[in-house]
Amino acid sequence: MKRQLNRYLQSDWFGPLLITIAAIALVSWFNPSFLSPFNIQILLLAIAVNAIIAYSQMVIIAIGQMNLSVGAIGGLVAISFSGFMEVWSIPWPVAAFMALSVGLTAGYINGLFVAMTGISAFIITLATLSIYKGLNLGITEATPFYKIPETVKALGNSNFIEPLPWLVLPTIIVTFCLWYLLNRLPVGRFILAVGGNEHAAELSGISVRKTIITAHAISGFLAGLAGIMLVARLQIGQPTIGDDWLILSFAAPVIGGAVLTGGHISVAGTLLGVVIVAIITQVLVLFNVDPFLVQVVLGLLILWAVGLNKLREVRAARSMDELGAGA
Amino acid sequence: MNKVIFRAADISKSFPGVKALQQVNLSLNHGSIHALLGENGAGKSTLIKIITGIHRQDHGKLMLDDQLLQLHGPHDAISQGIGVVHQERNLIPRFSVSENIFLESLGNKGQTRIDYRAMHEKARVWLDMLALDVDPATPVNRLSVAQMQLVEIAKALSLKSKVLLLDEPTASLTSHETDTLFSVLHRLRDSGVSLVFVSHKLEEVQEICDQVTVLRDGVNACESRPMQGLDRQDIVKLMIGRSEQIPDWAARARSTSGIALELQDVCTSSGHRDVNLQVRRAEIVGLYGLVGAGRTELAKAILGKDRIVSGTIEVDGSPATISNVADAVEKYHIGYVSEDRKQEGLILMHSIIENVGITVWQQLGKARAFLTNRTIREHVEPYINKLEVKTPSLNQYVNNLSGGNQQKVSVAKWLAAGVHVLIIDEPSVGIDIKTKAYLHELIRELADTEDTAILLISSDMPEMITLADRIVVMNDFQVMGDIVNTRDYATMSEAIMNLIHRKQADKPTTPQTTPQPDNRAAL
Amino acid sequence: MNNVSSTQPPTSDAMRLEDESPPRTGSSRLGPQLTRLLLSNEFGLLALIILFSVIFALATPGFTSSFSLFAMGRTAAVNIIIGFSMMVVIVSGGLNLSVGSIGVCVAMAGGWLMQVAGVPWYLGVVGALVLGAMIGALNGIMIVKTGLHSFIITLATMSIFFGVMIFLTQAGSFRELPPEYVQFGRMKINGVVSPLLIVTLLIGVVLSVFFRLTTSGRRLLAAGANPDAAELSGIRVDRTIILCHALSGVLAGIAGLMLVSRTGAAIPSMAGQLGQDWLLPAFLGPVLGGTLLTGGRASVLGTLLGAFLVTLLTTGLLLLQVGAFWVQTCLGLLLLAAVLIDLSRRTYLARHNLI
Repeated sequence: MKRQLNRYLQSDWFGPLLITIAAIALVSWFNPSFLSPFNIQILLLAIAVNAIIAYSQMVIIAIGQMNLSVGAIGGLVAISFSGFMEVWSIPWPVAAFMALSVGLTAGYINGLFVAMTGISAFIITLATLSIYKGLNLGITEATPFYKIPETVKALGNSNFIEPLPWLVLPTIIVTFCLWYLLNRLPVGRFILAVGGNEHAAELSGISVRKTIITAHAISGFLAGLAGIMLVARLQIGQPTIGDDWLILSFAAPVIGGAVLTGGHISVAGTLLGVVIVAIITQVLVLFNVDPFLVQVVLGLLILWAVGLNKLREVRAARSMDELGAGA
Repeated sequence: MNKVIFRAADISKSFPGVKALQQVNLSLNHGSIHALLGENGAGKSTLIKIITGIHRQDHGKLMLDDQLLQLHGPHDAISQGIGVVHQERNLIPRFSVSENIFLESLGNKGQTRIDYRAMHEKARVWLDMLALDVDPATPVNRLSVAQMQLVEIAKALSLKSKVLLLDEPTASLTSHETDTLFSVLHRLRDSGVSLVFVSHKLEEVQEICDQVTVLRDGVNACESRPMQGLDRQDIVKLMIGRSEQIPDWAARARSTSGIALELQDVCTSSGHRDVNLQVRRAEIVGLYGLVGAGRTELAKAILGKDRIVSGTIEVDGSPATISNVADAVEKYHIGYVSEDRKQEGLILMHSIIENVGITVWQQLGKARAFLTNRTIREHVEPYINKLEVKTPSLNQYVNNLSGGNQQKVSVAKWLAAGVHVLIIDEPSVGIDIKTKAYLHELIRELADTEDTAILLISSDMPEMITLADRIVVMNDFQVMGDIVNTRDYATMSEAIMNLIHRKQADKPTTPQTTPQPDNRAAL
Repeated sequence: MNNVSSTQPPTSDAMRLEDESPPRTGSSRLGPQLTRLLLSNEFGLLALIILFSVIFALATPGFTSSFSLFAMGRTAAVNIIIGFSMMVVIVSGGLNLSVGSIGVCVAMAGGWLMQVAGVPWYLGVVGALVLGAMIGALNGIMIVKTGLHSFIITLATMSIFFGVMIFLTQAGSFRELPPEYVQFGRMKINGVVSPLLIVTLLIGVVLSVFFRLTTSGRRLLAAGANPDAAELSGIRVDRTIILCHALSGVLAGIAGLMLVSRTGAAIPSMAGQLGQDWLLPAFLGPVLGGTLLTGGRASVLGTLLGAFLVTLLTTGLLLLQVGAFWVQTCLGLLLLAAVLIDLSRRTYLARHNLI
């Protein structure tokens, strides 16, 4: 029993879960409208999209790198999706498929450059950030696509069961798939192995290059998916989609206990990280706090989370010394 | 019994500017332990990397069971049954023991979902065989260094290795852990595995190996000779090309000179207990101990890098509070030549003049507005010349120097700084015999002419007996005692080993894991 | 993170044969010195600058007009300073994502001091730059105290600084600045040279002197190249890191104030969302200029030329009627090309023992 509890305490998702529950309880006590169906729907919509954004960064954090271009890929896919439908009148499922391939390709290109040149992912994705964003703006000349099919609009703002919006569905599927990938499938384990110790992974016969490229391709795919979901939610194809993803995409995985040097992430923790960010943002709105302060809160959340992770690491090392001495 | 299972024939390998191996041979018997010896830089690592498929040889061939081997990468070597446990730990820290053991086979065709329960059960077999009592589901970063080593051996064995290479497997083990490892190796040998054992600890090699191959400057000094009939001196002669001699230097008495550095009942955050130590001016005090005895950590505590929990440090007779290395250097004139030249001793990408000048910038900068290269050069050049650093120019990057010259540079910066106390950690790692002898003379001269107090940390017993006036023996973060050096190798080495083992005899028999943050960080 | 060049030859285990100085097999006809010069970043950048200047001058008549040259010099002045503000942190082996955020904060503080508090413009500038130094130092302190990588710390602080700034100003601008100050950004010396460019060149000289001729500068380089070795040689690495972040804050602030003087107003959106628009120019200059991302080596001249080349290309492409959005794509491609060329250059030099 005690051991079980200890195991929970050590897991990445337990802390964020407690915080989430406590926050929900506290906020709904102060402001009962927080748990109204309407508000829950708003919360879920925000969580659904933000979770995919966070996952797209999380996969890259898992290999110990970073992807500055998630937002740019998201934006490019969003305008591709809406552009395919408006300009070429392609039916939306085909357009979505094609747009997702754009995202996958963009991520694949990132991975290819990183893996082949050995140049840091930071610089490569900074360069591709500007390339993808430039393509986006060059194509659209910064004007949105307005003609979004009604089906897509409906998927973006209606519920399949009250109060669950349609957009929650892809997020649930992706969450499960990612968990399965990273915990049960060799490819996912290779991603974490490369992040944990690239050299050791290579000596064990894992193709580091292939793994890096795979991770970046997944990241590009997920960023694109988030872009498409945002088109549905916003009901227009905004070229500015993705501009404000960077901070959030790092905040949620880090709150969920991800180690920035790679090799350790938690899908559940990341999801809870997104939930916490969403609740806090909502709270700021509900209590009429200046919306400009959301940025400050997000930044502080990152600092708090990385500080806490560091502390846990130090403490784990210390308890290991004791453990080692006793063994 | 004496069937040759593996042979490396006429192996040559060059890197740009370096001939690492020239026509090297090695043949390995079925069910034997084969020592691969040589000084640092003799080509051992290169040979291992060729055998395990990391590098490809330029010439020569590898034969396994009389079949020609073509290795295109580590994966090929593994699938042919050649396993290796590298010097640095190669485990995925947050993966479980069993997943680490079976990492190679995860991606096999037909395997889609990972069945952890089956994997843990399969791992159990290997762990039992190595008598390693850990839960296969434990993440490896929760294990001690020795346990991790055993996991790596299990990993290599699980691949049905017929040949297993162990590169310095005992480097970070305590002597108890080493004993456990050796019993495992004996068992493996008896079950028919052929082992290649690389170590610089000759005592261990003599204890456990049946055959020996020695490399010197990239060529065979001897090839697959039976260990029987070879004594320590013979092996040393093969390794360095001449016999090992303790120079006939006059003993010096320093009991009258002033105390430069004194530690009283010092306990540190890294785990030292009640350390007492005295170094007098112009005295060379040796600090001997096995790896993991806490000598480097003690040096870092003196320098103010690790925290001192209790006890006092006195420098030149007055109490000193050293809160960081800058204090140690500037206020108390204590310098430290690191054992890890590349990581801690030098800035490889900077020039010689910058590396030597680093300790005098502060002092030179005070007197003038601008610190030009010329000013620094005028100050440091005499020391560089004195140490005979071989270089076309002082602007040469240190990265381009040989190991011996690099070491001279890392000593030169402390000569330039004019320190009163110099802590020298493993000065002859990775340098050639000639430079080593030269450095020994230099250290001695430094004590004689400059009155520098020297604390010499070394695991090289002959070096210790050559240089030290007094030898302090450490084990398990404690000082075990000190001995005045008589320069008689046999009696001194026996006395030192007695001091180390005195502790081990009255210790409880549970395996002891010394806290070694650096080893863990390496993972 | 930041393993920029993984192309080191395997010297560690394939040790050089002792006491033989490395064989010099550099290009036999040119001689190693000349080869090294011709392959240096600075030389390459200079050649590219000349090449593109000629191309643009021939292709567009407006390029050589005095107004175009003046505008280009003025833009270059700001871009170069932005590049410097990143360079001083890259030298320490870290990076500073919050340069844009700090730049805007300092600009807004300067605007507030001059317009609302009514202090003379020079005091406003000094006050704002002190703020920049403090914000930068705060970054440095957090990095040193937590031992976390500067990436994540400055990612968080870029959001925090920007958020606080936008909260305090309520996204409003300061547009009634002292005329002397605004005049400074519009002044033309000899009809072409902006005084801002002269300020930038002076700062470049000061930085060169800092890295070459002062104890602090040398220490920063040492700490960036190998913090462990630097610390064990008696350098206070923690202080050095804080100093370089403070310096980065000041430089970012100077760039922000220059922009204010150029546009005549302090506007919160002048560096985009969270100041992200500065990131690309901030890295382009140093990376083109050959500053190692792993730290330990700085090229002030390279950064200056790199940022100038970027400005030149931007100006030229805009004059060629390439849309502003496509220019962004081009800059991204330029960064990619630059790191790839740098990689092959380094490999070439290493193979011929010229490094």
